[in-house]
Amino acid sequence: MSLRSGYFKKALQVDLSTGQCQVRTLADEFLERYIGGRGFGAKLLWDHLVARDFRVDPLGPDNLLVIAPGPLTGTYLPSSGKCSFVSVSPQTGIYGDSSIGGSLGIELRQAGWDLLTIEGRAAELSILWIDDDQATLLPMPELAGKTSLEAEGLIKERLGTHEVRVAVIGPAGENGVRFACVNTDWSRNAGRLGMGTVMGAKNLKAIVVRGSGDLPVHDLKGLMAEAEVAFKYMRQHKYFKMWQREGLMMVVDYASVAGILPTHNFKDGSFPRVGQINGETMLNSYKIGDSACFACPMSCGNICLVKQGRYVGTVTEGPEYESCAMLGSNLGVDDYAVVLHANQLCDELGMDSITTGSLVGAVIEGYEMGVISLADLDDQPISWGDDAAVVALIHRIARREGIGATLADGAPGVLRRWPGMEKLLVQVKGLEQSAYDSRAASSMALAYATSDIGAHHARAWTIAKEVELGENWTDQERVDEVIYHQSLRPLFDMLGVCRLPWIELGLNEEHYAHFYSAVTGRSVSLPDLLAQSDAIFQLTRLINNRLGMTRRDDSLPHKVQACPIQTGPTAGKVIDPQHFERLLDLYYQQRGWDAAGNPPPEVEQQHCGSSP
Amino acid sequence: MVRKLTAIPELCSGCRMCELTCAIEHFGVANPKKSAVHVLVAYPHPVVRLPIVCSQCLTPLCADACPVGALRRNERLVELETMQCISCMKCVEACPFGAMYAHSDLDYPIKCDLCGGAPRCVQTCPKGALRFIPEQSLGEAKRLNNILSYTHMKEIEFTEKGEPRTIRYAEIGKEEL
Repeated sequence: MSLRSGYFKKALQVDLSTGQCQVRTLADEFLERYIGGRGFGAKLLWDHLVARDFRVDPLGPDNLLVIAPGPLTGTYLPSSGKCSFVSVSPQTGIYGDSSIGGSLGIELRQAGWDLLTIEGRAAELSILWIDDDQATLLPMPELAGKTSLEAEGLIKERLGTHEVRVAVIGPAGENGVRFACVNTDWSRNAGRLGMGTVMGAKNLKAIVVRGSGDLPVHDLKGLMAEAEVAFKYMRQHKYFKMWQREGLMMVVDYASVAGILPTHNFKDGSFPRVGQINGETMLNSYKIGDSACFACPMSCGNICLVKQGRYVGTVTEGPEYESCAMLGSNLGVDDYAVVLHANQLCDELGMDSITTGSLVGAVIEGYEMGVISLADLDDQPISWGDDAAVVALIHRIARREGIGATLADGAPGVLRRWPGMEKLLVQVKGLEQSAYDSRAASSMALAYATSDIGAHHARAWTIAKEVELGENWTDQERVDEVIYHQSLRPLFDMLGVCRLPWIELGLNEEHYAHFYSAVTGRSVSLPDLLAQSDAIFQLTRLINNRLGMTRRDDSLPHKVQACPIQTGPTAGKVIDPQHFERLLDLYYQQRGWDAAGNPPPEVEQQHCGSSP
Repeated sequence: MVRKLTAIPELCSGCRMCELTCAIEHFGVANPKKSAVHVLVAYPHPVVRLPIVCSQCLTPLCADACPVGALRRNERLVELETMQCISCMKCVEACPFGAMYAHSDLDYPIKCDLCGGAPRCVQTCPKGALRFIPEQSLGEAKRLNNILSYTHMKEIEFTEKGEPRTIRYAEIGKEEL
């Protein structure tokens, strides 16, 4: 059955160089096949790259930025507030995407757009103001150097309304820090892979949206009936209340107990003073409010305030688990107020907190090991838990001052200056590893190595299952689990919804087939959707191969395969390189790829047509 | 019993389920802008998330502003008679709380009708931030906070059946005496 609803069939195409905003009609075949969000982004980026013979400078005007919610975004179902940013990543040089919460995607759809594409480069620092069907480029050079939250406030003041959604970059994005993020609704971020850097390189400080239209839904009653079942399931889940209270902060204790909490730049797997930076500490002494993305009952966001001490007055949403681990235990920081302050700095300056924490951790260890000298550090020594030095270093990265200029270029920049840092940087394909230590779980190592965007847990998060099952898991099961995650997870980004109800509360993924069918009138089964979803993972793999990635890049960081975890319950664990190669062979085989990791020619043929 | 629709900003997460549910209930569309409740977020200074709801005032300024008498108080509800409404939207501007809304698709202002006595926004709020409570309970949380501000909590530690335990009690005003 074909599409009956769910889309506006319209894309807004903005060329910042000429200031032109054009409407592009979207064909049914494109909408059906690529669904939305990450799917739209991957296909449009593929077409864009094919047309340019895969020669695009991530920081040049020729790079394409796609911003796309999905057909479910903003509709009546759990956690429908997601929107994808897709571009060639300035951090990794390959396909990159990042998902943002809050209400940005809903507003974009209410303005009548299924997606937004941005090319070119504005002559001076500007904002893109989308007011329903009107799009205007407004120069605002006065926003230069303003932090994300400050800029959001100034833009609202300048436009004379608070009832708009703003996606904004901080000074890091303007300064070309390779891992700059995009901030919306005061503190929801498209955090990873430098989507803010792309905006900065285009002289685009912010995208401001106001929309008023109805969201197209084929069968609203049917959708609500299905959604009520899902909402009810979530409300009755034994961890639901705990989610509202702590959100992802509850993972801190779990990770430390399981021995997978990055500590001292992944030297250790658990942190003895974890009790000072965990969810309980946050609840008892810092939390002042809850925060949720659109239509989400879980409200994983925590608004926290430092009420005393050196960082008194720091107020921010967060940190969630990743930020807390990477800016906390990973740096030996045992004071939640410091974590909160560092997190706020990353938000305000507009930098990915995972990469920032990972790089700062590597610098501390590099200095400890003598790879980085005191002169390299601009005569400002740094050590584990040294909060003043950590905070100062974060500022210097954003402003590209001294050593900050090297760190701002991410892992490649660090390796160019200090080749010896190769042993200390924990990254794959140029993206720093998320806050789950893969040495405790070979399936997680495989997941990081084969991820299309680098070492990000968003593609496959199999560590909890492997920790639970231990060694009683065959290689085949490990590979199958990784592939299942990689196949299913694009679907959430394509539909424009959050995956947490599924991964954290176990909401049955079958619901999403029903949601999609009710919204679009195109009746599909979950296996149908999974096939479409997996095709996107294969497509982004293909993009990467064309951009020069090979089997060599599906590798593990030195630490993961050569340096056992030093302390904690997983002490001694390390990934055996030979075992990893066996897993990788099996993975390629299962995927139907050749031994060099190339998908078969059919994958490319599938995506030649169906252009919008 | 007279009940009032009220919001507790400390509990609101800003998820906007109330907006979406209200729009579906009254207009049959997924459009959070067509709602008689809107969540206003002011951040970071001060951090406030507040669903703005109609109080069904006893002396409704929206009705006072209506030049044709289309808004009238009936029992405990301020009702809009759409047949009389001339769509000037003066009521939207007159409400001291901004709790009436206009939308370009609609000929009439969006006026809360309490869903006939069982507000859907209250049912759908996952945080219990929207309440439909007896009028005499309004301000209860403020009263509680107020008396707690006078107290000094003290702790006594003791042992019961070999287990260490603590009991907390309020010592009121002793330090000033």
